[in-house]
Amino acid sequence: MNTAASSWEPSVKIPEFETRDLKRKSIAVAVAGNPNSGKSTLINGIAGTRLHVGNWPGVTVEKKEAVFEYRGRRIRLVDLPGTYSLSPYTQEEIISRDYLVREKPDVIVNVVDATNLERNLYLTVQLMELGIPVVMALNIFDEAEKKGYRIDTKAIEDMLGIAVVPTVATRKIGLDDLLKRAISFAEESPLRLPKHLIYGADAEAASRQIEDHLRKDHPSVAAAYPLRWLALKMMEGDSRVMEETGLDEGGLLGETLNHLRAAHEEDIESLMADARYAQASGLTREVMIRPAIRKMEITEKIDRIVLNRFLGIPIFLAAMWLVFKFTFDVSTPFADWIDAMTTGPFRRWAVAAMGFIHAPAWTASLVTDGIIAGVGFVLVFVPVIFAMMFFITFLEGSGYMARAAFVMDRAMHAIGLHGKSFIPMLLGFGCNVPAVYATRVLENPRDKALTSLLIPLMSCGARLPVYVVFIGAFFAAHAGTVLWSLYVMGIALAVLMGIMFKRTLFKGESPMFIMELPPYRMPSFRSLMIHTWEKGKHFLIKAGTYILAVSVLVWFLLNLPWGVQNKKDSYLGKAGQVIAPVLEPLGFGNWEAASSLVSGLIAKEIVVGTMGEIYAHKAKEDKKEQPSPTDDFREIGTSFLAASKKSVSNIFSTFGISSLSAQQDDESAGLKPVLRKTFTPLSAYAFIVFVLLYMPCVIVAIAMRQEFGTWKWFGIAFTYQMALAWSVAFVIYQGGKLIGIGG
Amino acid sequence: MMKLSMLKCGERAKIARIGAIGPLKRRLMDMGVLVGEEVTMGKVAPLGDPIEINVKNYSLSLRKKEAEDISVEVVE
Repeated sequence: MNTAASSWEPSVKIPEFETRDLKRKSIAVAVAGNPNSGKSTLINGIAGTRLHVGNWPGVTVEKKEAVFEYRGRRIRLVDLPGTYSLSPYTQEEIISRDYLVREKPDVIVNVVDATNLERNLYLTVQLMELGIPVVMALNIFDEAEKKGYRIDTKAIEDMLGIAVVPTVATRKIGLDDLLKRAISFAEESPLRLPKHLIYGADAEAASRQIEDHLRKDHPSVAAAYPLRWLALKMMEGDSRVMEETGLDEGGLLGETLNHLRAAHEEDIESLMADARYAQASGLTREVMIRPAIRKMEITEKIDRIVLNRFLGIPIFLAAMWLVFKFTFDVSTPFADWIDAMTTGPFRRWAVAAMGFIHAPAWTASLVTDGIIAGVGFVLVFVPVIFAMMFFITFLEGSGYMARAAFVMDRAMHAIGLHGKSFIPMLLGFGCNVPAVYATRVLENPRDKALTSLLIPLMSCGARLPVYVVFIGAFFAAHAGTVLWSLYVMGIALAVLMGIMFKRTLFKGESPMFIMELPPYRMPSFRSLMIHTWEKGKHFLIKAGTYILAVSVLVWFLLNLPWGVQNKKDSYLGKAGQVIAPVLEPLGFGNWEAASSLVSGLIAKEIVVGTMGEIYAHKAKEDKKEQPSPTDDFREIGTSFLAASKKSVSNIFSTFGISSLSAQQDDESAGLKPVLRKTFTPLSAYAFIVFVLLYMPCVIVAIAMRQEFGTWKWFGIAFTYQMALAWSVAFVIYQGGKLIGIGG
Repeated sequence: MMKLSMLKCGERAKIARIGAIGPLKRRLMDMGVLVGEEVTMGKVAPLGDPIEINVKNYSLSLRKKEAEDISVEVVE
């Protein structure tokens, strides 16, 4: 069945390449390739820290771009999402083809995995249809050679009319050549266009007919697209192309297509896919020699263990435990250090500076408690975001991420999620913020959104201090059980809500799982670092601005009208008074509890601090004597060293997950007797359940906004969580009263 | 003829028919799962689903439900 499609058009004689005068000052290079072909590493190798990470407009897919000078040219490098094809079905594919068709880059750099030539060539032949010069980076060339593959790159060049440059992106080999060839191909464009792939006589005839028809009757459409590509897509019945051009299958077009369909029993789409693969395999046979005896590859050996029926899950859980531990335990000491610095020396210096310029008290407070506290709040998240990005990138780059999805998919699919969703959900137990950012491991927008909606039900570390205070005051005898019940409740509700969302908001076919299990590879350290740095920077700039603004807003809420003695009269207190009646049926309908819950929107652990201030009428004071600036500097240095030491020792410590072991400080100890007066054990339990569920904190909101480009998902999360928190707390309190527990 | 998902680990088979339609079919084709192609059954995930197959010299995983409409003939 593949016989119709294996010949190439006669080759055009292409003159030898010479360095010419600069024709163009600016060259747009689009980098396309299969996932796992080493494309990211290659781009990092070329552009390094000049890389800018953002999102493609309107979607959550990451966009990497770099602009730099090279040999007198201004190169604009755009990384297209990794795809296996250019069909119009996945977000990644649509982005890639829209960019290639609309923006018409000067040259396409096609990154190809030399160890998996045939499947990679399937994309190459599609890229060749676009009327843009193609330069192939035959990547992972060293591994292919080690396997004994011999690839005739000159033969590929001659047969396809493209340039082929062997590269080893992890060691930056061949990248300079690649850029040079890309520039020369871009500058000599019409001479360097790829050859036409012949799809068989009748398909070619049909294509020509459609091209003629378009040129004659729809000249504006014909001018806007690469004509042959357009004709081929119409033959494939590409719905997106039909929609975009506004053409229908009437008249001559329909006649041609029907004729072709009648001639082939199958649909034309299959015919074309077959033809392309026939090209890819035919070419692979021609240009590559494989050793006759195939050794069992290292990937197979590892998978025998990692995907083993009995060992698979224990290994997966161990790996996840390590990721969790590394992410939070490595970063926590640094986060604590940053926190100590912004609340310590930096704050003191600001206070001193404000005093020096005789600023009014409220401005001084705004600067120290609003702005500096806000900056500190942003910075505290930096270590954990960096750590998370590092490990996620490592999991993806090494090839284990796909295995993790493979092992867990059955369980996660039951609640409408993807196998990969497990990792963001798990990180949620440490902190929901990096967890939301970690949903970028999921490709499908539906999986991403659903996972993000459920993450806030994972009880994060910030909720723990609230539990600890209440459990200490009311359930000291059964501390473990009560704490455990909260975590389990969160998970159980996530399962429940997952099933519910699957049937309502996310009705319909769940996204496909069809996924490559790539060979295991060691990601290059440089690439890991660049990736981590870029993501971290993206967070700092984008989320940082929001967080700072919110922090200032909260300052106004807490401190205005300026000079209130009683917290009840502050805006926060007034908000509490308004909300309190709503909480009445839950057992804690007083303004103190309500105000504390409102302040928890910044971060849930703040609930405890606010309660301390309100109930114990304790204003925060700097009890310590003012240290001198030199002491401050010394403290910054020594405490950073201490944090680094702690971070390293945390890795090796075997005493569980230290970020989950909270200690009670003096402040909360004073709070307990007061709490016992206002809460009963039943209302206390209802209260901590409410804290567990009631809403994502503002940083999570910002993370969701940043990941999805819209407030929509946060809006849904906020609404359902409020409803859930209220209902569950209601059932607990009223139900408990009914059966006569407390009152 | 039998279903792809019924193959035993290590068994080789030739794809005879792909019953899937629309995006699923296109995606399978894009990943190299074509009529006439030889595939080898790989592992089954510890929880029984998804499965791993070897096609075009690489490993592909898919859910049993997605493999349901693929008919194969076992190759000796």
